[in-house]
Amino acid sequence: MLERIGARRVLLIAALGVAVLVGTVAATNLQTQAVYYLTPSEAKAQGVAVGQAIRLGGLVKMGSMSSADLRGGNDFRFVITDGSVDVQIVATGAIPGLLREGAGAVVEGAFVAEGSFHATQVIAKHDEVYTAPTAGATPAHRTAP
Amino acid sequence: MIETTFWRGSVPRVRPLLGTVAAASFVVASYMALVWAPTDAVQGDVYRILYVHVPLAWLAYLAFVIVFLASIGWLWTKRPVFDAIAVASAEIGVLFTGLFLVAGSIWAKPTWGVWWTWEPRLVTTAIMFVMYVGYLLLRGLSTDFSRRATRAAVFGIVAVIDVPIVHLSVLWANSLHQLPTVLRVAGSPALDTPMLVTLMVSLGAYTLIYAYFMSARVSLELARQGRLWTRT
Repeated sequence: MLERIGARRVLLIAALGVAVLVGTVAATNLQTQAVYYLTPSEAKAQGVAVGQAIRLGGLVKMGSMSSADLRGGNDFRFVITDGSVDVQIVATGAIPGLLREGAGAVVEGAFVAEGSFHATQVIAKHDEVYTAPTAGATPAHRTAP
Repeated sequence: MIETTFWRGSVPRVRPLLGTVAAASFVVASYMALVWAPTDAVQGDVYRILYVHVPLAWLAYLAFVIVFLASIGWLWTKRPVFDAIAVASAEIGVLFTGLFLVAGSIWAKPTWGVWWTWEPRLVTTAIMFVMYVGYLLLRGLSTDFSRRATRAAVFGIVAVIDVPIVHLSVLWANSLHQLPTVLRVAGSPALDTPMLVTLMVSLGAYTLIYAYFMSARVSLELARQGRLWTRT
């Protein structure tokens, strides 16, 4: 009986050890190696080839977005920037209602030339701040179509 | 044993009351979430799914941490009640993780524009779901009670490491999911007071539901264990 419990406790300590080990490896490596998207600067530095399928992410440049009536068509345009490199996006397909200038966005597609990207999927990023609309002020954007 | 009188005596007596309180607080939380809380300036009414999504996430974390603690309890003391707690919490955790993923997906479509994307938070959560489904499958591989409980406990201890990974994955560079709203790195919660109150009430209501499910499921597991031993 005592031996059985002893073996179990050794197992317990071993399991905790494995958990800590796996956690440490995951914490140190995943953070840097799991890449969901590239910023325009990273894409430029890595020399992403024309036609190579990637995700590109950054901020939608102020004043760069096509008017709302072009949404869902084949020629919806905006610029994704990370502050130093700009990429002109031409998007086809549905555009999320939350996509807005000055906010984050991720696009899936491929470069058609340097600095020019064809997006087949546009994903809008939103922040973790929630607040009621202020009376009199026009909310920046709504999700409603 | 203490746990026998606790789980067979006190818990069944309190359970109906617990169920009533859980159901009532769920109704209150739903009313607050759908009607009382103000709409969001950016997302509009769709943000209200936050009051379901966040409590479900919290319950998934809670359930798997309970599995972890109960697994340690089994390996350390060899008391069968810990194995009953572990399996009960794992099952409920899998249920809530599934609902958490579904609620997140329903929220993602009208805001991000996609039902699913291979983003760190989503991928780590999917891994968490699959791992605990695996935990439940592992329990089916042996009919020997002690061996089954020990194997499951080792898995339950190692698998919990994904819980902090899921929670912290939103802090990784180049991710899509928004950062934590309440447990913010910098400063106070980033939502209006009525929204925060609604979220806290929702968290409380969902936690009561978890407690109710646990009380029922652990009692059921103890009854199963009793049958197992009277047969041998």
